[in-house]
Amino acid sequence: MQITLDGLQKHYGTYHALKSIDLAVPAGQFVALVGPSGCGKSTLLRTIAGLEAISAGTLRIAGEDVTRRPPRQRDVAMVFQSYALYPHMTVAENMGYALKLRRLNRTDIARRTQVAAATLGLEALLGRYPRELSGGQRQRVAMGRAIVRDPKVFLFDEPLSNLDAALRVHMRGELRDLHDRLAATSVYVTHDQIEAMTMADHVVVMRAGRIEQQGRPLDLYDRPASRFVAGFIGSPAMNILPGTVDPSGRAARLDGAEGPLLSLPMLLEPGRPVLLGLRPEHLRLSQEGGARFDGVVDHIESTGSTTFVKLKVASQAMVMTLARRLDVTLGDPMQIGFDPADLHIFDRESEASLVTQRDAPPRAGRA
Amino acid sequence: MKRYLLTAIGIGITGAYLFPLYWMYATALKDDAEIVQYPPTLVPQRPFWNVGEVFFGRHMPSYLWNSLVVAVGVTALVIVLGTGCAYVLGRARGRWVDALLFFVLMMQVLPSSLVVTPLFVGFNLAGLLGTPRLAVILAQTAKALPFYVVICRASFAGVPRDLEEAALVDGHSRLAAFFHIAVPLARNGILVAAVLVFLQSFGEYVFARSMISDDGLQTATVGLSAFLGPNTSDWHGIMTYSAIYVTPILIIFVLLQRRIVAGLTAGAIK
Amino acid sequence: MKISGQTSRPGRIAVSALPDPTASTMRLSVFDTFRDGRGLDALLVLLTLVYLIVFGLAPILYTVLMSLQQVDMFTLGDFSRPFVGFANYVDVLTRPEAGMVARHTLVFVALSVACQLVLGFALALFFQQDFPGAGIMRGLFLAAWIMPGLVVGGIWRWMLAGDNGVVNSLLAVTHLHPTKIFWMSDPATSLYAVTIANIWLGIPFNMLLLSVGLAAIPKDLYEAAQLDGAGPVERFRSITLPMMRATLGALVSLSVIFTLQQFDLFAGMTQGGPSNSSNVAQFWSWQLSFQTYDIAGGSTIAVLMIAVVIGVATLYVRSTRHEQIG
Repeated sequence: MQITLDGLQKHYGTYHALKSIDLAVPAGQFVALVGPSGCGKSTLLRTIAGLEAISAGTLRIAGEDVTRRPPRQRDVAMVFQSYALYPHMTVAENMGYALKLRRLNRTDIARRTQVAAATLGLEALLGRYPRELSGGQRQRVAMGRAIVRDPKVFLFDEPLSNLDAALRVHMRGELRDLHDRLAATSVYVTHDQIEAMTMADHVVVMRAGRIEQQGRPLDLYDRPASRFVAGFIGSPAMNILPGTVDPSGRAARLDGAEGPLLSLPMLLEPGRPVLLGLRPEHLRLSQEGGARFDGVVDHIESTGSTTFVKLKVASQAMVMTLARRLDVTLGDPMQIGFDPADLHIFDRESEASLVTQRDAPPRAGRA
Repeated sequence: MKRYLLTAIGIGITGAYLFPLYWMYATALKDDAEIVQYPPTLVPQRPFWNVGEVFFGRHMPSYLWNSLVVAVGVTALVIVLGTGCAYVLGRARGRWVDALLFFVLMMQVLPSSLVVTPLFVGFNLAGLLGTPRLAVILAQTAKALPFYVVICRASFAGVPRDLEEAALVDGHSRLAAFFHIAVPLARNGILVAAVLVFLQSFGEYVFARSMISDDGLQTATVGLSAFLGPNTSDWHGIMTYSAIYVTPILIIFVLLQRRIVAGLTAGAIK
Repeated sequence: MKISGQTSRPGRIAVSALPDPTASTMRLSVFDTFRDGRGLDALLVLLTLVYLIVFGLAPILYTVLMSLQQVDMFTLGDFSRPFVGFANYVDVLTRPEAGMVARHTLVFVALSVACQLVLGFALALFFQQDFPGAGIMRGLFLAAWIMPGLVVGGIWRWMLAGDNGVVNSLLAVTHLHPTKIFWMSDPATSLYAVTIANIWLGIPFNMLLLSVGLAAIPKDLYEAAQLDGAGPVERFRSITLPMMRATLGALVSLSVIFTLQQFDLFAGMTQGGPSNSSNVAQFWSWQLSFQTYDIAGGSTIAVLMIAVVIGVATLYVRSTRHEQIG
């Protein structure tokens, strides 16, 4: 069921938590809300659930205005970060509770609980209490409690953040798979951009109570609309360095004494202060032509498959990742190359991207 | 080895501290001749049990019944009035919550012997002294309510808010979530607070003494105080009375000791 | 998540559609505010608040009013009584027993609080050690706290009896005081008799709160101090005491408050006598109102004492606002 938010506002006293949020979630989509803590993503999710009153604007679920309705009249299910399993009820009772509140008869409740439990592999645990379960099992029960209801919308509030790293990666895939099998509409809050990128159809990046940018995951990666999104999406984070457009208008110089010249993919007014962005994975060691500049190896780390090189370039720090090993010593000079099409340019003042309008050439094989 | 030595010392200290309780029971078992003996015998030499005579001779059934009426009335009233407030104070944050909590604390610290004067005059004007047990219930509720709220509040604050929110999403109204989720999960604290209020009210003295004039409606403490007149010497009778009165209280305490300690600690600290 | 047209998907969960709970378009009515909105909070709080205003705050204000009026047997049942300004205050404070009662109150409170604190602290430290039964024994102390004050008063009066009391016998056997002390009837000792009983009553509460405070001190602090070469006394002085400051501050305020509430022991042991030698303000106020029917006098003392209690309680709240212990 689609969700539509129109000019949604949330005030806590004088604190303006959500500043006019417009968002349309088409039916069947998996939408991730990401951003740093305090950006309003959880508040936004909770307003959709009805746990926070909406100060202004309208919220529609499946076309119906539910702005002023309490949670129980919105037909949404929610998975909490803490799982919020009722400690005084068994797994089966936890899962069937919402159905019981809707006065379904006992056999229906039992049948549907069984089906949901089978989907999640929880059949053996139905008689247990939450305190007798592991973290991963509790997480599954929390999901089971949501799917057993067959709700219009699923809401997830950082559901994986209490799991250990390996289980988290595994559950990412399982959760997405479940979403597809249920053909559900899901809104998923996370502070982990990798979760958002790998799971969602549509990613909404929030900052200070506003939507900073939204779009398909790879669009956000390829064409971040602002320095904030550029820095938030992608890991390690994009190198963003201050620079100035040189008199030709076709290149920019990194700020700092005798900074190297980087050729621009477009024409800009000479002397304009800008921010230049290059993703670590778009940098390469270069002898041949194209855009390049000089740096000095400052620090080096290797995970075996990937090598992280920290460089000093015109007294500024930069990171480069290489998918191979590298035999260099600290202090070695290095020539760095990149494809000018990979260069991101932001206005120094507004921090808005100056290249988003440009159609990026299709890039194959980038993950 | 050292640990068992400490246990032995501990038993000694605890025993010495609780000696007054032992002395009450020991005296209740001594006859009049043994009582006036000096130095006193530590263990009753001719155990002598006189419950029936004191129990009926001193009209204890009526006194205990009246104490029970007061205690049950206060406890019921306090639970009805205070549980919701404790819940809200354990949940909400903000300046008005602080102000309210301050007010509740101020009401808790007022000595009964000081507020009984205006209550007596006010109840007299309102005609409440015609139903003196009700008057005592109303007065004692004002005394016990803040205590109950403070203890229960800590218990409600320990119930994760997420659980109630999950219940809202599952289909409860806030009111229903309070009754079906918050109250069952805070029941330990509620139970402890209610038991303590009950015991306090069962042993209440000032209000009953000041407001109840009809002896047939008097509570057990007032009955005891009449027994404890200035020149009394019937210590056997007094201690028997005390033992009959206190034993149920001590039994409740021993049964719930663990929970009472935990509940008091949480309430006093948070 | 609708089912039509997608039933052929593999692994699809077959669940029947539910009756739509949102079928009726509801707005928040007055009734719903109480079920779902802030109205519920307001309603629940108001139950307590209104009750405490009517039966707690109003009586205090009424006492203040009565302390400024002429209230006696004749005007007791009247709604309006003649105002006398501060005459009651002048009258009460210039009575011969006023200074004595004030001094007794001070001695009773200071002695009770100090001894409860020291003994409670010693017991808390002892039972803090790890030995079998420590927790249960600590809990048993609370049995005293739960007893009706009047019964405790009766027991202590019997134990402190002059002729055949067990305390005198104990003092004689241990040669601490070979002659009999007539605790209750000797004006020199009557106040101390009540104080002893009150200390006994207050120890468990002090011990409980101090135990909690002690348990909250991280063990590694002591281990670090031990590695630094601090002995047991030095560890107590440099770690335990400073870490317990907040608890001790809160506890002193609470003990003062509880001691000022003590009434039953006086009623059960000495009735404030002989000749006011063991009388304290909270008992005197009640005596004036209910034994001599000098309601104005009783109210006047009540106003003064309520001001003291609220002052101490405010200090307590202030101290706990900064430190999260109390």
